[in-house]
Amino acid sequence: MSNLIAIFFGMALVNNMVLVKFLGLCPFFGVSKKLKSALSMGIAVLLVMVVASVVTWPIFHFLLVPYGVEFMRTVIFILVIASLVQIIEMTIKRTNLTLYNALGIYLPLITTNCAVLGITFINIDQAYTFSESIIAALGAGAGFTLVLIIMSGIRERLDMADPPLAFKGTPIAFITAMLLGLCFLAFGGIIR
Amino acid sequence: MHSFTKNFLKGIIRSNPTFILLLGLCPTLAVSTSLDNAVGMAAAFIFVLLASNIIISLIRNYVPVRVRIPVFIVIIATLVTIVDLILQGFIPALSKSLGMYIPLIVVNCIILGRAEAFASRNNTTNSIADALGMGVGFAWAIVLISLIRQLLGTGALDLFGHHLFTVPGLADNPVTIFLLPMGAFFAIGVLLALFRWMGVSTGE
Amino acid sequence: MEVRKNGFYPVIFLTLIVFISIAALTVTNAVTKDKIELAKKDEIAEMLSTLFPEMEGFTYDEKGDLYTPLAKQQPLGHAFMAEISGYSGAISILVGLEPDTTLRGIRIISQQETPGLGARIAESFFLQQFPGLAMDDIELTRKGGKVDAITGATISSSAVVEGVRKALLEKLDQLRRET
Repeated sequence: MSNLIAIFFGMALVNNMVLVKFLGLCPFFGVSKKLKSALSMGIAVLLVMVVASVVTWPIFHFLLVPYGVEFMRTVIFILVIASLVQIIEMTIKRTNLTLYNALGIYLPLITTNCAVLGITFINIDQAYTFSESIIAALGAGAGFTLVLIIMSGIRERLDMADPPLAFKGTPIAFITAMLLGLCFLAFGGIIR
Repeated sequence: MHSFTKNFLKGIIRSNPTFILLLGLCPTLAVSTSLDNAVGMAAAFIFVLLASNIIISLIRNYVPVRVRIPVFIVIIATLVTIVDLILQGFIPALSKSLGMYIPLIVVNCIILGRAEAFASRNNTTNSIADALGMGVGFAWAIVLISLIRQLLGTGALDLFGHHLFTVPGLADNPVTIFLLPMGAFFAIGVLLALFRWMGVSTGE
Repeated sequence: MEVRKNGFYPVIFLTLIVFISIAALTVTNAVTKDKIELAKKDEIAEMLSTLFPEMEGFTYDEKGDLYTPLAKQQPLGHAFMAEISGYSGAISILVGLEPDTTLRGIRIISQQETPGLGARIAESFFLQQFPGLAMDDIELTRKGGKVDAITGATISSSAVVEGVRKALLEKLDQLRRET
């Protein structure tokens, strides 16, 4: 049990997807301007990460490994993710139209989110068991959402602040990310 | 020939994928801790981008519109896996330090972006130019960032085992933070501001 | 090109592309497989020779997860990998044993500790404290052992020390049960 907790917090904080592993940067800077969109994107990514982990783990261990075709991993995983995103998009559209409109354009973007493909690779590389993979995905998604929310909160304020003209917009966002990353550094060592 | 040059040049500065289009940032920041990594990643990236642009522009008239994204993805993923396997076998040290960022090239927005926006609509010659331009643009961006990070972070510069030079004084007391992820954010933030200030517009 | 709008063509096309992809990758895999195996063996050999420089070859016992470096067909001792949790992530340590199972030394194979601080566990000034230590001495000096922690990197140092001691205990136990 403590192992699972360690994995969750490890993924969410110590090895945070965005600030430490550099995964999921495109949506991070593209979507984090408003709190609402950040939250929507975060939850959508969390959902896809968990479902993707649930699907890719068995495929790898019960299909690719026994047949000795581990090298097909990249192709298969990305196809799985692309299909999953399509399916999830269609399901949400049918069952909950308001949710669909809220998440809107962010769903298809998740296919190219390096964090989603990244977590499926990490599950394999770290030799996680099935349940460990799910926890890792939850942690990674939670960490991603957390950082996205914090970032959007800061950026909403930043828009009203007055940095030097050259820094306005994206550059100052990067500097902010750096400071955020520094804060997250403090999480190192909580897993003892 | 004029359009070839035009397509080539635009990727280098005006539509630089890293600094202007802000695409493909994940590998750029993750891997730029050393010059070796940057050069290795750039080479792998250019190979995949070039090959994918060529292949996609060759089959562009036969690809059904409805399945084009999955088709592009499969092609890119295949190319990436080929590069990954070759690196593992022939340059294992590079494969180890670049790690999962090589397979992650497949979701690099630049490659899929160029496939969709350009190679699927233009002839092969121009697609080659586009790929080379974008590739070089990506390459010099990632090399620049890693130069800054390695120089300030370790005080010395090495390339494939050849020691290039050491900055006196800095080597004993390097600004280590540049080797950490946050250093990368700082470096690119400052660089972006620099480019802004020099008058090149960024995509906002 | 009306055929493009036909219902089946897109699916056929995609399937064709997937088959070509599988074919291309199978070929590449066949070509590179042996090289990759060799590269992995070389990597392990290089790793082992940092602790056993006179090594000429090695064997690996999969069941016991133990390496036996050899020189002139004679075992030089044993070695095993210990994976532990450090300050910023996993640390892989190679632990080397003399033929009489005393500690030959350790090497840090991979770590993600803070550069300039925790990462210094990989440097020789820290590692050279380990060879020849008795089990009870594998502890930080401030806890009564013989290993000085790295200034400013107590957690990393402690993680390595605790990890090595635990792994050594387990491994020696395992070896004892087998003989």
